[in-house]
Amino acid sequence: MEIFIQLILNSLIAGSIYALIALGFNLIFGVVKFFDLGYGAMIVIGAYATFYFTKIIGLNIFLAAALGVLSAGVVGLLVNRFVYQNLRKKKASNMVLLIASLGVFTVLQAVTAILFSSQFKTLSQSVTANVYNIFGGIVTQTQIVIFICAVVIMIALTVMLNKTKFGKAVKAIGDDEEVAKIVGINTNKIIAGVFFIGSAIAGLAGILIGFDTGIEPTMGLKLILKGVIASIIGGIGNVYGGVLGALFLGFVENFGIWKLSGEWKDAIAFVVLILFLLFRPRGIFKK
Amino acid sequence: MNSILKTKKIIKHFDGVKAVDGLSVEIEKGKITGLIGPNGSGKTTLMNLLTGMFPFDGGFVAVDGVSGIKKIRSYDIPAFGITRTFQDVRLFEQMTVLDNILVVLTERNIVSALFERHKKIHHEKAKEVLERVGLWEKKNELAINLSYGQRKLLEIARALAMNSEIYFFDEPFAGLFPEMVKLVSGIIKELRTHGKTVVLIEHDMGLIRELCDYVFVMESGKLLAEGEPEKVLKNKDVIEAYLGE
Repeated sequence: MEIFIQLILNSLIAGSIYALIALGFNLIFGVVKFFDLGYGAMIVIGAYATFYFTKIIGLNIFLAAALGVLSAGVVGLLVNRFVYQNLRKKKASNMVLLIASLGVFTVLQAVTAILFSSQFKTLSQSVTANVYNIFGGIVTQTQIVIFICAVVIMIALTVMLNKTKFGKAVKAIGDDEEVAKIVGINTNKIIAGVFFIGSAIAGLAGILIGFDTGIEPTMGLKLILKGVIASIIGGIGNVYGGVLGALFLGFVENFGIWKLSGEWKDAIAFVVLILFLLFRPRGIFKK
Repeated sequence: MNSILKTKKIIKHFDGVKAVDGLSVEIEKGKITGLIGPNGSGKTTLMNLLTGMFPFDGGFVAVDGVSGIKKIRSYDIPAFGITRTFQDVRLFEQMTVLDNILVVLTERNIVSALFERHKKIHHEKAKEVLERVGLWEKKNELAINLSYGQRKLLEIARALAMNSEIYFFDEPFAGLFPEMVKLVSGIIKELRTHGKTVVLIEHDMGLIRELCDYVFVMESGKLLAEGEPEKVLKNKDVIEAYLGE
């Protein structure tokens, strides 16, 4: 029974991490309609910027984390402005944008490795973490924070998308960017805002993972792939679907390795992806 | 003539095909101008050029006193006081009817827009235009779930919400029931009464006669004839090229 509870808790934590990644990824995909793999680098930048501000500069951990989130947002904003926006202006196809985003990811990951080395690092302040017992299962304080952050970000995005002028403009661009321009929506500014917010969420995910398990420059690829799988399961471009997809993925991965080795986790995730692509390519929530 | 919009030898080629071929037209302010011609004559292309959907390959445009414009970008359109509808209706499909209107009333400051909700004045304006086209009751429906006629009306309502000076309507009556035709023609006449300029692409010559003050007839990207509807529609070349089809 304790194992069962532990698996549920592990699934919720993994699902929350994937949900955070999928939230920002889907927000960006919703307006630009291409798989922005560069988003994976924003996870790394958020984590390493926090590492820099707290471990090297010596700032307070909360201030360092805030600056980490901000750094990821600003880098996402700059990548959009100087790479994607120029490509969109030249009517680049989604394939070209995808390749460019892979380039962005590779460059930023390499720069991170050059600046901080490829060695595994941790963001947490102490070796022992505060742990809590929930119905016989164990969770750390960081994992609770991850879960809370995922819920708070999802609620905040829901309110922003449905209740604010910015959110309506985001939805309009997602539906028809050309018409959005004609009716006077400054699409470049709105897309820039989306990149900032989405990248900041990626940065937050990177920081939280850094506190939970540690950081390394290559962490972005695995996480963006999980975010993409969660998004496809939930319905690509659907912000809420991505959250459901993330939880689904978290549960399938963790319960899948109940009787198997943990090394099968990624294989299970990709089998689920292939099954969805074969039998429900538009995800749980068809848009 | 008190013109609000002029084109001077405007050109658009698609892979060597002259869709608009050195066209010069002058649209009078506060009037309804018809743009007619056979299919493929370049009417919609001209409208697309003047609303920044495509760049033009040559020539100039003048809008409301700003002359020598060589390039119109789609996001410049509201600043020029221009709005439009499309031959194939283009709405924000995944948004509600109300949000389709509210979104065009969005202010441009991104930072404030992040947190700001639409004010009472925006909701009142949205209500006004949706009531005008009879869609207020449908305000919470997703645009994608509307009937074809309702979608056309919503697109017109969105154009009205823009409160522009120049309205381009590309076949606004196509596929509408008679009562909807009456409603839309009433709206177009009302715009003229308020001093707005309307450019109308339409194939129904009865509606052209009823609504238009002036007509341009296009054929193969060029101007075939122009003038008052009654005279133009009796023109032998026009009858041969268009009505005789």
